[in-house]
Amino acid sequence: MDINTQVNLGGLMMKNPVTTASGTFASGKEYAQFFDVGKLGAITTKGVSLDGWQGNDTPRIAETPSGMLNSIGLQNPGVDAFVKKDLPWLKEQDTKVIVNVSGHSVDEYQAVVEALEAHEGIDAYEINISCPNVDRGGLTFGTDPRVAAEVVSACRAQTKRPMIVKLTPNVTDITEIARAVEAAGADAVSLINTLLGMAIDPYKRKPILARVVGGLSGPAVKPVALRMVWQVHQAVNIPILGMGGICTGLDAIEFILAGASAVAVGTANFMNPQSALEVVSGIESFCANQGVKDINELIGELNC
Amino acid sequence: MCEILQRSGTVVANRKLADNLFLLDIQSREIACAMGPGQFIHVQIPGMDARILRRPFSVYQVDEAAGTMSVLYQTVGAGTQHLAALEAPFSVDIIGPVGNCWEVPEGNDRLLLVAGGVGAAPLFVYAQQLVAAGKQVDVVLGAQNKDALVAREAYEELLGVEPYCATDDGSYGYHGFCTGVVSELAKSKQYGLVACCGPEPMMKIVSDIALDSNIPARVSLEKRMACGIGACLSCVVNTVDGYKRSCVDGPIFDAAKVVW
Repeated sequence: MDINTQVNLGGLMMKNPVTTASGTFASGKEYAQFFDVGKLGAITTKGVSLDGWQGNDTPRIAETPSGMLNSIGLQNPGVDAFVKKDLPWLKEQDTKVIVNVSGHSVDEYQAVVEALEAHEGIDAYEINISCPNVDRGGLTFGTDPRVAAEVVSACRAQTKRPMIVKLTPNVTDITEIARAVEAAGADAVSLINTLLGMAIDPYKRKPILARVVGGLSGPAVKPVALRMVWQVHQAVNIPILGMGGICTGLDAIEFILAGASAVAVGTANFMNPQSALEVVSGIESFCANQGVKDINELIGELNC
Repeated sequence: MCEILQRSGTVVANRKLADNLFLLDIQSREIACAMGPGQFIHVQIPGMDARILRRPFSVYQVDEAAGTMSVLYQTVGAGTQHLAALEAPFSVDIIGPVGNCWEVPEGNDRLLLVAGGVGAAPLFVYAQQLVAAGKQVDVVLGAQNKDALVAREAYEELLGVEPYCATDDGSYGYHGFCTGVVSELAKSKQYGLVACCGPEPMMKIVSDIALDSNIPARVSLEKRMACGIGACLSCVVNTVDGYKRSCVDGPIFDAAKVVW
């Protein structure tokens, strides 16, 4: 049976609904050792800021039940280095490229988009207003609907490329933020970023992470992510890129039923470098077994 | 960057050598034959359920004919404790070889290898390579006690002489930390390079001793690691050139560049 797996994520046409969660896949080169990354619907890069960011002190990660905490702090060499070192390679891959954009200020987000606009080979942006691991910017932009809209409007003014806005789960009502960024011109929303958490070493009486707190990801967060995708799907008209603990094709199908048009594989890439590819084939076999001819038939088709 | 492989392997032996110290024999021919000295493997231990991450292990010895590699490990947390309780044979998913290699230097200078605890393992293949290249090698092994000096006989067989040994409790060799032995050797002999693997505080002291004596030093560092292939930026080491990934930029670093 011929199955259509192509989806439209706010103007970004993906040959299948699977991309990678920012920060878990670098720019893809490392993973190209294990599989043809051209088989993914898109690659979402590690966050890119204007100048390089050093990131946080170590330890930066802690393993937690069915998940992990990270506090990398968006370490990256800056937009110029990304354009020189990673973009040429990304262009050669037979997949769409979503560049994750980070900033410490509205001006910085805008400047990163402006710098990237000059280059071919970028198919969409993901504006990261939800990183819990940087002191200025990141999370603070994603928890206030007014500030979130301000960042999105500023970036919108720079580009006609599809713009996905990544939302944080660390808010009382995620639909409020989703509606605000939709109104400000977002073409899609991605969710969820990590949940703020901490881990403690009882013998040393110290936090495990150098930064004390970090972002929780992995299978542990999947139920929270599903709930939020479902809520946001009811609240906005723009498509959703769903993520949070996806390890298998079945996990992905659950997100699609909850309302996601596409999905991102994150922490699972660390567990098994071929995870994203396995999610692609898992979605295909689910559709084949269930007689689904077009993946779009499943988006938001949850029977509540 | 040389290619990292992902292959299945079979643990053919998993035996206890001393308190908290175990030896794994893993059959996985392609990875075993590709391993260079100082490189490691990133292993998914079966049955870990809620513990989702792989565990990195240095390779101790390689038997290319048999397609096996051995891993010396210490039980330090839930992952290694779980591993120690598994009975061979069982399957594992392996990523490797990961990381850079110890290099055989030019010239005829004598080399000093310093290992603390299970750090004796990742230096062994290097010692074999140095001996094969006709280099003069001194080895210092440090451990908590005599029983924990599990690699002593293998080194003695390789070198033809007993390595310098130090035990914390004085049950074998020098009574005290191996850094005491290193300090004496650095004064009494000329070395072209010090290579060190062990607990981080010990490596810092050994580096300081070497650098104070104008001997170049290399250290093998390991940080908490997620992906093990250079993507996640969890395992970074602070250096004078900025943060470097211990998995693929290391694990071996020039001690003069490490910001401890």
